[in-house]
Amino acid sequence: MPTKNVVDARISKFKNKGKDPATLREKRISACVELRKANKDENFLKRRNISVDLSSDYISNEMVASLVIEDIIKDVNSNCRESQTRGCQAARKLLSQERNPPLKEIIDAGLLGRFVSFLSMDDEPNLQFEAAWALTNIASGTSWHTQQVVEHGAVPSFIALLASPMLHISEQAVWALGNIAGDGASYRDILIECNVVPALLARISPDTPVGYLRNLTWTLSNLCRNKNPFPPLSAVLQMLPSLIQLLHLSDKDILSDACWAISYLSDGDNERIDIVVRTGIVPRLVELMSHKEISVMTPALRSIGNIVSGSDLQTQVAVDAEVLKVIPVLMKHKKPSVQKEAAWALSNIAAGPCRQIQQLITCGLLPPLVEQLRNGDFKTQREAVWAVTNFTSGGTVEQVVHLVQSGALEAIINLLQVKDAKVILVILEAINNIFMAAEKLGETEKLSLLVEELGGLDRIEMLQNHDNELVYQAAHTLIEKYFGDGDVVGVKVESTEEAFVFKTSDVKRTFEF
Amino acid sequence: MELNDANLQTLTEFLRKTLDPDPAVRRPAEKFLESVEGNQNYPLLLLTMLEKSQDQVIRVCAAVTFKNYIKRNWRIVEDEPNKVSDADRTAIKANIVNLMLSSPEQIQKQLSDAISIIGREDFPQKWPDLLTEMVNRFRSGDFHIINGVLRTAHSLFKRYRHEFKSNELWTEIKLVLDTFALPLTELFKATIELCQTHATDVNALKVLFSSLTLISKLFYSLNFQDLPEFFEDNMETWMTNFHGLLTLDNKLLQTNDEEEAGLLELLKSQICDNAALYAQKYDEEFQPYLPRFVTAIWNLLVSTGQEVKYDLLVSNAIQFLASVCERPHYKHLFEDQNTLTSICEKVIVPNMEFRSADEEAFEDNSEEYIRRDLEGSDIDTRRRAACDLVRGLCKFFEGPVTAIFSGYVNSMLGEYAKSPGQNWKHKDAAIYLVTSLASKAQTQKHGITQANELVDLNEFFVNHILSDLKSPNVNEFPVLKADAIKYVMIFRSQLPKEQLLQAVPLLISHLQAESTVEHTYAAHALERLFTMRGPNNSTLITPAEMAPFTEQLLNNLFKALALPGSEENEYIMKAIMRSFSLLQDAIVPYIPTLIGQLTHKLLLVSKNPSKPHFNHYLFESLCLSVRITCKANPTTVSSFEEALFPVFTEILQNDVQEFLPYVFQVMSLLLEIHSNSIPSSYMALFPHLLQPVLWERTGNIPPLVRLLQAYLEKGGASIASSAADKIPGLLGVFQKLIASKANDHQGFYLINSIIEYMPTESITQYRKQIYILLFQRLQGSKTTKFIKSFLVFINLYCVKYGAIALQEMFDSIQPKMFGMVLEKIIIPEVQKVSGPVEKKICAVGITKILTECPSMMDTEYTKLWTPLLQALIGFFELPEDDSIPDDEHFIDIEDTPGYQTAFSQLAFAGKKEHDPIGDAVGNPKILLAQSLHKLSTACPGRVPSMLSTSLNADALQFLQGYLQAATVQLV
Repeated sequence: MPTKNVVDARISKFKNKGKDPATLREKRISACVELRKANKDENFLKRRNISVDLSSDYISNEMVASLVIEDIIKDVNSNCRESQTRGCQAARKLLSQERNPPLKEIIDAGLLGRFVSFLSMDDEPNLQFEAAWALTNIASGTSWHTQQVVEHGAVPSFIALLASPMLHISEQAVWALGNIAGDGASYRDILIECNVVPALLARISPDTPVGYLRNLTWTLSNLCRNKNPFPPLSAVLQMLPSLIQLLHLSDKDILSDACWAISYLSDGDNERIDIVVRTGIVPRLVELMSHKEISVMTPALRSIGNIVSGSDLQTQVAVDAEVLKVIPVLMKHKKPSVQKEAAWALSNIAAGPCRQIQQLITCGLLPPLVEQLRNGDFKTQREAVWAVTNFTSGGTVEQVVHLVQSGALEAIINLLQVKDAKVILVILEAINNIFMAAEKLGETEKLSLLVEELGGLDRIEMLQNHDNELVYQAAHTLIEKYFGDGDVVGVKVESTEEAFVFKTSDVKRTFEF
Repeated sequence: MELNDANLQTLTEFLRKTLDPDPAVRRPAEKFLESVEGNQNYPLLLLTMLEKSQDQVIRVCAAVTFKNYIKRNWRIVEDEPNKVSDADRTAIKANIVNLMLSSPEQIQKQLSDAISIIGREDFPQKWPDLLTEMVNRFRSGDFHIINGVLRTAHSLFKRYRHEFKSNELWTEIKLVLDTFALPLTELFKATIELCQTHATDVNALKVLFSSLTLISKLFYSLNFQDLPEFFEDNMETWMTNFHGLLTLDNKLLQTNDEEEAGLLELLKSQICDNAALYAQKYDEEFQPYLPRFVTAIWNLLVSTGQEVKYDLLVSNAIQFLASVCERPHYKHLFEDQNTLTSICEKVIVPNMEFRSADEEAFEDNSEEYIRRDLEGSDIDTRRRAACDLVRGLCKFFEGPVTAIFSGYVNSMLGEYAKSPGQNWKHKDAAIYLVTSLASKAQTQKHGITQANELVDLNEFFVNHILSDLKSPNVNEFPVLKADAIKYVMIFRSQLPKEQLLQAVPLLISHLQAESTVEHTYAAHALERLFTMRGPNNSTLITPAEMAPFTEQLLNNLFKALALPGSEENEYIMKAIMRSFSLLQDAIVPYIPTLIGQLTHKLLLVSKNPSKPHFNHYLFESLCLSVRITCKANPTTVSSFEEALFPVFTEILQNDVQEFLPYVFQVMSLLLEIHSNSIPSSYMALFPHLLQPVLWERTGNIPPLVRLLQAYLEKGGASIASSAADKIPGLLGVFQKLIASKANDHQGFYLINSIIEYMPTESITQYRKQIYILLFQRLQGSKTTKFIKSFLVFINLYCVKYGAIALQEMFDSIQPKMFGMVLEKIIIPEVQKVSGPVEKKICAVGITKILTECPSMMDTEYTKLWTPLLQALIGFFELPEDDSIPDDEHFIDIEDTPGYQTAFSQLAFAGKKEHDPIGDAVGNPKILLAQSLHKLSTACPGRVPSMLSTSLNADALQFLQGYLQAATVQLV
């Protein structure tokens, strides 16, 4: 196929393609540069600022005196515990305002070192708490802000604070560490090296309050987050049993963050996926794909999507957990981003061996697939097209016939007018695959007529004018191969003027085949 | 090359000379410039010249030369020297934007092109300040400069529309968005404001509208790959303004030109594209704006005139509506009965009208008209867009739309009936409307295959089409006649047979119409009707049903070829071919006259072959004449040879390349009809067929090989006796062909025929060389195709000369060669051989090796006996191995670079499959059983013991089946 090099870039990521059994299904392409608005659902998770009261046990913002920065600096730098506490309180109040908290000003005033030193004052829990709160909010700013907190040595102190007998102080530390972990792979790994994981897990017990568990789950999820590099395997193995436990709770926030954690851990190569699959959590994840809260369903779907991008065996685990019953429902979800994600998962299952493709047919996935090809949002259509191409390249002849009869051919032909060169190329690949199936049945002529009737010939002919060279070539090859006019089919040897010279070279050599 | 006045002077002189009409002056000057362009400072000298020269002509010439220089030299190709010095590169990039913006338009265009070529290579990494430099110009307030920037930006960014997503591409786009999107948006707003302040100043408006069009194009490019965050945040600004511009009209900007689209049309057309892009790809975000755009575009359509200059705008606008109305969640925008009626009445019907431009094409440019109307190259036309909209609306509203249009069709037909002479265009539109409404699916081969059930096609045919076909004056209302013929043609699968039979003689008489479109359509319709299949896979219309019209059909077809403008009309020639093929024996009486006309035509077109399809059908018709006539009476072949050879000789002598493959095929056909002898006229030609020049052209190879095979079949002995000196040349062709991975199978066809038909003694001396060549190729480049052909050849050789001869031949080339071929080639590869005849040859050959070759029984080859038998049984029983190693997929493409003329195979010159073994062996499995039996009786006990020790159980079971079927037993 002329489309080889391009489509193969993605095809080779699907398992069973390119004849290399080691190649993978399509992994999430999130490493790509994005032009779109960042997905809001995911981003707000990264850092959290505390702008509301944690609980009524301690002094709320309203009761704290408002001080100007100069006074705060003076208070914090004083040697009087009372002033220090007052200054810290005023600082965290300023830092908790929703709009433009003066992060930079506080840092520039050189207060971070002081705050960090307060963290270890076990005999001054109020001061500890206020300092922790202020630092948490600074760490929730940009990377630069987080960096300031870390560079002032806050990490060991916060980890030590996790063990604080005062729950609200320990929780504050959880929160701060979550913000630091969320900054990126390098801080995450620094935390892990400082043994944050056992310290966190030690706080999980049957009577840990839900609010605390929510924060803790979120911090764990940030410790699982980010690739290049992935979190160290040992840490992952430490966290997983607790995450699995958390996934069996019913609080939606805990479920959501625990699912996000699993989605990060499964967003990698097959070995990473395997670690998740071996915990036996897949059936629970599939169950959570039907959760009524979108904040739970989304990361559950994402996790399963990652898992079916793995090996045949890994995919089969999800299939055995009846994921194919849930996907059709999600493909009709009102949010296009959910439809897209479901179609992506489907496209990866369709990249499997023909017995998985058969399960996909048996479970009635073709009608919703065709429906999405026809009327879906563009992002979903794009994934659905991949599903068709994968299906046609791995399916048996009978399965491909079934697909065509379900209306997929008509639908992809209609999509040949989309304004996206890659999608067009992938469709041409699918059409070519369908023709190869027809060749095995000796029915290429019938298929040519069908494609023409469906308006495909006109479209493919038009694509011969496409500006993209590969699209043009693929269209041209299809036309040449299958749509020729029915009637018109389309070592140097010495010579003289009159004839070629028949002779063998004199070089003696031994033949060896 | 110094950057000084003397050099400027010299270059100026040479540049001037490159404009000289006299090639003796021009060519050396061009050569000189080429020879100095590698020097440092050369491009800077050109830039200086285009900036400072006093002579306007020299300035433009320097600009063009500069652009071409950049085009040829800027790209740095790996492993090739850098052709532009780094100093020059830096200097060019530092100055070119300024220079472009301060130059007059003619030069600006060239420099803008040059910038985009450089940008393609260097932007963004190696030209980081280009964008900021450009954006800064937006603030100049000078729209001459701004438009220069916008045009350059457009040429830099338009590739975002067709390239594949990649990290590299998206990084670039992101960078562009970061620096460019905001200033562009500000410029957009400012320009629209300026349009309002200058609403009465036509010159200012023209410049501003060019800017707006360019800005809209940039919007399209920047939004193409994905919806950028910036544009999502600023959608309100852009869409509100786009919407405003769509509804805007300004008398000052209306143009008088009927053909050329004006600025307003270009801008609105681009805005339609932008809206369509958002509707298709960013539906979720665009939804709130879409209804407004539907209304605006629909109003635009209602108020836009029929002039050609609006065509692009109208077809873009209609296509937008067509794509939206198919989407379920926008259905509600269209479902109101008044809306539907209004769209039908004001958008669809007016755009289906036959315009004066169509009328002109019908009369004066029939080829173009036919291409658009019949072959569907009407992609951008209004009629096509209107048809697409009808189809789109029918998805949800078939009933109401059909009802609305029925009313229109009736009223238009009513108008026509009142005064046909005046109102014939109404009937044309009515027919077009019915056609577009009724056709849901269509193929060239069968016409309309699915029709709207709400339209009664037969009734319309009887009431409105038949009358035009029957009208005695074929030259009156030619457009309506063409419409009527086309109706029969495209609805042929929907109309009952008796209607088609009724139409046939009417179509035949329309072959005489003066209008090219009309008689072409008649020929095409007949040709299509003749290809329709009836029950039992025969033709729907039988030769018997055609009998009453045969003479007139043939007469009119040949007369139509004489009509002015149709001398090389491919539709008519194809109809002739199809008529011959349908009528078969019934044409024999007419052939003596017709063959003269065909050869005359051939002589004429061979002077200057220009219509490949016409020529192809002409040769097909010749083949049919020969086949049909000679089938009844083979002796008539000589009369064909008499008629054709003079023309063929001329074609061969003048080396009419396009026709040679055809001539070789017709000659093969003629020669194959001869019983076993070869006329001297053919023998005279034989040496010429071996000329290397003929074999250098890919398209000649298959027909020439076939022709040589016919020579060998009919005249192997004659060649041996009277042209023995040509045998090395013949083998030379074989050697040439097997040297090519693409043509080696043709070489084997030839050598197989040589083995089969040439007298043994005439080739004995060459046999060893033949094998050495084959082994060399096998050693050097072993492909699956070659091995398959090789296996067939050695087995054919074995069948003809015996297994012992084969073994002795191999072993004489190199000791133990026979064993190596068995072990490395035959046993592992025989499963790949395909084709029934090929398989039979291999089965018989291997059987002979097993049973008629003593050295297989009592030398070191004996160990290969059972594996070979096992391979043969597998060959009989297992599915064919059609796997091909990965690296072989592209062989045919790689090995034929510069593939020009495809081999034009004539369908009606078809060659029969030839079986060299024939009835001598009916069932190869039985032959194996019988041969094994014979072997076992010659050396009792050996065969069963070899079988029992190492043949696998499955194979043994199959073998016992063969023995039983042959009723023999091994001893």
